[in-house]
Amino acid sequence: MNLGLQNLESSAFDVMVMAYILCMILYWVWIGLKKDLIGTLATSVACLGLIANTAAIIIRMVISGHPPLSNGYEFLMTFVWGIMAVYLYIEFRYKLRSLGAFVMPIPVMLLMFIIMSMGPEERVAQAIPPALKSQWLTFHVVTAMLAYGAFAISFGLGVMYLLKLKEEGKGWEAKPQGIIARFPDLETLDELSYKVVGFAFPLLSLCIITGAIWANYAWGTYWSWDPKETWSLITWIIYAAYLHARLMYGWKGKRAAWMAVLGFAAVLFTFFGVNYFLPGLHSYAQ
Amino acid sequence: MKEHQEGAVDKIWRIFSSMKLGLVLLGVIAFFSGVGTLFPQADVDPDKAQAVGKIWQDLGFTHLYSTYWFRLILGFLCINLIVCSIQRFQGIYNRTFKLQPPKNRTNIPKKIQETWKGDSESLRNSVQKVLRSRGFKVIFEENDKQWSYIAIKRRWGNWGSFITHLSFVVLVVGAFIGSSMGFKGFLMAGVGTTVPIHSIQVSHGTVKENFDVLINSAEDRFLANGQRDNWYTDLSILENGKVMARHTISVNHPFTYQGVTFYQSSFINGVHLTADIKGQKVPVILEDRGGNYFQAPGTDLYLVASAITSDPQKPSMLFEVFKGMSENAVQSGQLDFGQTIDIQGAYKLTLDGNSGFTGLQVKQDPGVMVIWLGCALLLLGLILSFYWRSILVTGIFQAEQGNQGEITMGVSTGKVVGGVKEVFDRLVREIRAK
Repeated sequence: MNLGLQNLESSAFDVMVMAYILCMILYWVWIGLKKDLIGTLATSVACLGLIANTAAIIIRMVISGHPPLSNGYEFLMTFVWGIMAVYLYIEFRYKLRSLGAFVMPIPVMLLMFIIMSMGPEERVAQAIPPALKSQWLTFHVVTAMLAYGAFAISFGLGVMYLLKLKEEGKGWEAKPQGIIARFPDLETLDELSYKVVGFAFPLLSLCIITGAIWANYAWGTYWSWDPKETWSLITWIIYAAYLHARLMYGWKGKRAAWMAVLGFAAVLFTFFGVNYFLPGLHSYAQ
Repeated sequence: MKEHQEGAVDKIWRIFSSMKLGLVLLGVIAFFSGVGTLFPQADVDPDKAQAVGKIWQDLGFTHLYSTYWFRLILGFLCINLIVCSIQRFQGIYNRTFKLQPPKNRTNIPKKIQETWKGDSESLRNSVQKVLRSRGFKVIFEENDKQWSYIAIKRRWGNWGSFITHLSFVVLVVGAFIGSSMGFKGFLMAGVGTTVPIHSIQVSHGTVKENFDVLINSAEDRFLANGQRDNWYTDLSILENGKVMARHTISVNHPFTYQGVTFYQSSFINGVHLTADIKGQKVPVILEDRGGNYFQAPGTDLYLVASAITSDPQKPSMLFEVFKGMSENAVQSGQLDFGQTIDIQGAYKLTLDGNSGFTGLQVKQDPGVMVIWLGCALLLLGLILSFYWRSILVTGIFQAEQGNQGEITMGVSTGKVVGGVKEVFDRLVREIRAK
């Protein structure tokens, strides 16, 4: 039964990878050609990818008997899920399909990282050490996944804002046929980015808090300045600064967009950089 | 006219009430926190920390998070947050509980505003009806030829940022209480061992309690599929030899007695043996990989277990015997379950079975509840700030001819126009429809 499930998981993973690559290309083609059919197809393939992603995660949970959080492969798969779930919500809620062209490369690159750097032995479901057997870990990672997913969206919105601003700064009217013309206006992009950060920031805080509660149960220390903890705090501070600068000093537009980009760079470093360059208590996440 | 001279206290207050200072301090904390992850920290990797250049060690970069200057920056941030919160308290209070309807049209927010004409009485009724049905608290004020109102929904949302900032102070206070009043230690003990609590290795603080910990059993338990289940330690708390409490702990399931918490931290295999020294039977417990030794009384022979099988069905060990300070073993070999061997003619040794050595973190942290309070406040503050934003609608009606006149209505947008505009447009539609 296990072998059959493993094959099924592997197939779901392959479908997910192909769907995400295809929908990324379709979003790019759509933004260039503006054919509604291609746009609808891009969204449909993205939905298919999310379904395959969800299936791969559920099958992995059935095989391993625990949430998919025991190694880097599982973390990345859930991170990709978080990005896609938040992205598709934003696309449907705000009718913002052009965002897909900027967000989709992120999950695709994460999946490429899995394919190119992780051998089969690193992807296999592993036994988890006693310290990871905690419900708090599930809360910790689920909140991280949603927060990081939302920060990826704010990064995409920040990039769109900066591109649009650059075009408008040239003194031209955005051409009706141009790619940039498909973007929403600057104020909408800026506001949406703020809203997404406003949604994700409490989740990131909850992620840090649940991590602290779990660490206190497991190791008797709620905060140990472990590199992962420290970098998640740095990420938190960057977004806290983003929110404060906006609320108090009206840092909107360009500066806010750059901060959204910087914040996501910190997210990526917290996720990857720390695991691979600064091992600590979270070294099992490699 | 004599110019007002700013006193030292005013100056300090002004400096610490600056939001810019808060942002700078946050940046400095983020920067040095990041630097700390690049330097090996003495409490995690003392050997590597020792290898770092002396100047960096002297500056505290190898124990950065406990340096006085890092704590000072945190302290400054705390003061900044307290001062800013005090300054903002009155404003938030007024915005929540002392709402004043606008006196004239210029007080109506302009960014999202709507004006239309109508009859005074019917407009007033519909404003009241619609806003109340939408969960707004409405306050009216009436003058000769005009009436005005202010309406608020989710007014507790105003307190979000205040509570969030306050929570940081609570967290720092909790951490301070924990570091100044508690202790942190570690004990590694074999089954059957009684450890006085004040004799454990303490890395921080002082143990004031006076009870003993008896390790009844320690087990490395596996599931049917061969995966490790958990490490379990059954321990008793003894006071004057009397059992006061007994509990089985495992990783993620600690036990607290008199404010001292025991956390299952590690586990090492061991064996229990019997040494027969001239007819006197002495129980011996040895730790895997030479973690401890047994010196038979009256000899200079040191016995260590260099390897132990973890299979509880077939206990077995590789042993070595050293004489005096010599680095070369005078005797070595394998000892299986139930087997008895002679050790240098000094005593006989029998392997009785496996025995676990349990590693327990022992901690007393009176600040931890304050930390959880700070976390709860932080979450509450953030939820109020981002998911429970207050909406403030104001309006003024000015009569022009008899009961006929013009109403102007506006909404405070805060920092997000989009969502608020949708709510406002819906309200205006409903009021106009009535």
